[in-house]
Amino acid sequence: MSTPNIVELYGVTKAFGALTVLHDIDLTIQQGEILTLLGPSGCGKTTLMRIIAGFEATTHGRVTIQGADVSYLPPDKRPVNMVFQRYALFPHLDVFDNVAFGLRLKKWPKERIREAVQHMLHLVQLGEYGNRWIHELSGGQAQRVALARALVNSPSVLLLDEPLAALDLKIRHHMLAELKRIHQETGTTFIYVTHDQDEATILSDRIVLMNKGRIEQIGTPEEMYAHPRSLFCARFLGETNILTGAVRAAETDTTYVDVGPGTVKVPANGAAVAIGQNVSLAIRPEALQVSRLAPGGAGGDGVNALDGVVEDVVFMGSRVVYSIRTSVETIKYQETRSVDGIMLAKGEPVRASWRPDAAVLLTH
Amino acid sequence: MLRIYVWLYVAFLYAPIAIITLFSFHSSPALTFPFEGVSLRWYAKIFSDATFMASLWNSVIVGASTALVTTILGSLTALGLARLKGRIQTLFGLLAFGPVALPGLFLGIALVMLFSQIGLQRSLVTIIIAHVLFTLPFFIEAVRSRIEYFDLSLEEAARDLGATPLQTFRLVTLPIIGPTIGGAAILSFALSFDEFIITVFVSGNDTTLPLTIWSMMRRAVSPDINAASVISLGLSIGLILIGGLLVWYQRRLALSARAKDMEA
Repeated sequence: MSTPNIVELYGVTKAFGALTVLHDIDLTIQQGEILTLLGPSGCGKTTLMRIIAGFEATTHGRVTIQGADVSYLPPDKRPVNMVFQRYALFPHLDVFDNVAFGLRLKKWPKERIREAVQHMLHLVQLGEYGNRWIHELSGGQAQRVALARALVNSPSVLLLDEPLAALDLKIRHHMLAELKRIHQETGTTFIYVTHDQDEATILSDRIVLMNKGRIEQIGTPEEMYAHPRSLFCARFLGETNILTGAVRAAETDTTYVDVGPGTVKVPANGAAVAIGQNVSLAIRPEALQVSRLAPGGAGGDGVNALDGVVEDVVFMGSRVVYSIRTSVETIKYQETRSVDGIMLAKGEPVRASWRPDAAVLLTH
Repeated sequence: MLRIYVWLYVAFLYAPIAIITLFSFHSSPALTFPFEGVSLRWYAKIFSDATFMASLWNSVIVGASTALVTTILGSLTALGLARLKGRIQTLFGLLAFGPVALPGLFLGIALVMLFSQIGLQRSLVTIIIAHVLFTLPFFIEAVRSRIEYFDLSLEEAARDLGATPLQTFRLVTLPIIGPTIGGAAILSFALSFDEFIITVFVSGNDTTLPLTIWSMMRRAVSPDINAASVISLGLSIGLILIGGLLVWYQRRLALSARAKDMEA
C-alpha cells in the first residue's frame, strides 16, 4: 500500500452505441475516505461505479486499484465488493450462507469462516440472525446483511450503489449513522453512489458532483456548499437564491453586477468577466439579513440590498423560511426561530441585504 | 345450486377415471355392473403381452430422452430470452411459443416430409425429434416467466463476491431456477408420454404406449385396455409425485444441513 490513492481513474470514457455516458473522467480516491458520486439520474454515476466494480468495460481509459491496472479484470478478480441497490441477497441461502458466500469461494477453513461471519453479523448488529431466511428480513435488516456479505471479504474498496434508496426516511437516517460507524470501525474505503444531496453531505468526506457524464465539481461537503463553482452545483446542493444581471465593473478582487435597480458587489471568482456579460449570483437563504422597513420609508434598492414584501412564511420547527418578493426575484430567507416566535408577518415591507462575501459569482 | 353444479362437474371429470380403474380390477370380462369380484388377471395378461411391454418401454425411453433434450435446449433458450431486450425479446418470445398453435396434424405431416427428404428412417429417434419440437414451446413458456423474474443482479453479486461465470451458474442461477426447470422437465415427459397425433405420423416399427392402446381398441374393447390405461395413468401420476418429492427432499436436505452447521 505504497500509494495513498486506492483507486485511480484516467480518462475514463464510456459509450453505449452512439450515446456517450462518461466523458474523459479523471478521479483519484484516497485510502480510507468516504467518497460520494452525487448527481441526478442519468449523470453517469452508477456507470462509473460499475466500471470500478468491473461490470462495465471502459470505452477508453484506465482503472487502477492499489496501483495495479484492473481495466481488463473481470469483477471476480477485483479486490472490491459491492452493496447493490436492491440488496441482491441470494434467496435460496440463509443469512449465514449469504455472508459466507465469498469466503467459501476463497476456500477458507470452516472454522475461520464461521468466526468471520459471526464477527461481521455482530458488526452490523444481526448477531442472532444467522439462520433466518432472506424473505424473513425487513428492508433495513436486508441492507445490513448485504453490507456484511460485502465487508466480510475485507475489500480494498466497498462500493455502495444507492443502498438506502429502497428504505423509508426514518430507517434511512438511522442507516446513515450506521454506515458512518461501520466505516470508522473497519477503516474501509467507501465509494457511495446517490442522487440524494442530504445523504451525500451527511456521509461524505468528499463529494464528486456529476452532470451529463462529466465531473462538475469535487470537494468536501462544506466547500461545495460555500463555494459552488457552477449554477448546477449551487442549485443541486441545498437551497439557494440565484440572481442574474450584467457586469457593470470588474476590479481585481471585486466584481460589480447590476441586479434590477441596484448594484451587487461580489468577490471575483478568478474567471475573466467582460463588462456587460450576464452572470449569476448565488446567495444561500441563511446568509441574508432581513430588517423591517418603516412604512413609507422605502429608500429604494442600494448596494447588496433588495427591498420587498414578505409573501409567505413557512414554519419548520427550529427554523423559519420566508419568501420575499422583490422587484427582480422572489428570494428565500431562512432564520433560526427565536424564543420570541416568528419575527416577520406576511405582507410586511422588508429589506434583504448581505455581506459581499456571502454571494458567489457564477459565470456558467 | 352451485354446490350441485360443482359436484356434477367433479363427477364428470373423475367418474370415467374411477370406472376404468374399477373395471381394470374386475374378475369378469364384462364391462357392466354388477361388479362380480376383484382380480388382477387383466394386469397379469397385459404384463405378459410382449407388444404392450415393448411399447411401454419405448414410451419411457422416448419420454426420458425428450425431457432431457427439451430441458437442455429449453433452459438455454429461456436464459437467452431473458437477456434480450424490448421488441427483439417479444419477437423471439413469440417465435419460441408460436409452435403451440400449430395443429399436430400439420406438424406430423411436415416432419414426415422432412424426414423422408433427408433420408432419416422412421424410428424412436424420429419420434424423439418430433416430441422435442412439440414439448419445447411448453417447456420454454413454463420456465420463462420464472427466469424473467430472476434478478440478474444476483448473478452480478455472485461475480462480485469472487465466483467465476461457471460457479455463478452452479451456486446461484441453477439452485434458484432449478425447481422450475425440474417441474418443466416432468411436464415435458408427461406431454411426450401420451402424445398421439404427431407420433402416428413419425413412428416406424417401434410404437409407443398410446399407439399400442389405440390399436388394441380397434381390435376389440377388452378389459385389458382398462388395465393398460390405468398403468399409463399410474405412471403419469407417479412421475408428478416423484417430481414433487424431489423438490421437497431438496428443501429438507438444505434445512438439515443448516441445522447441522448450527450445532457444530
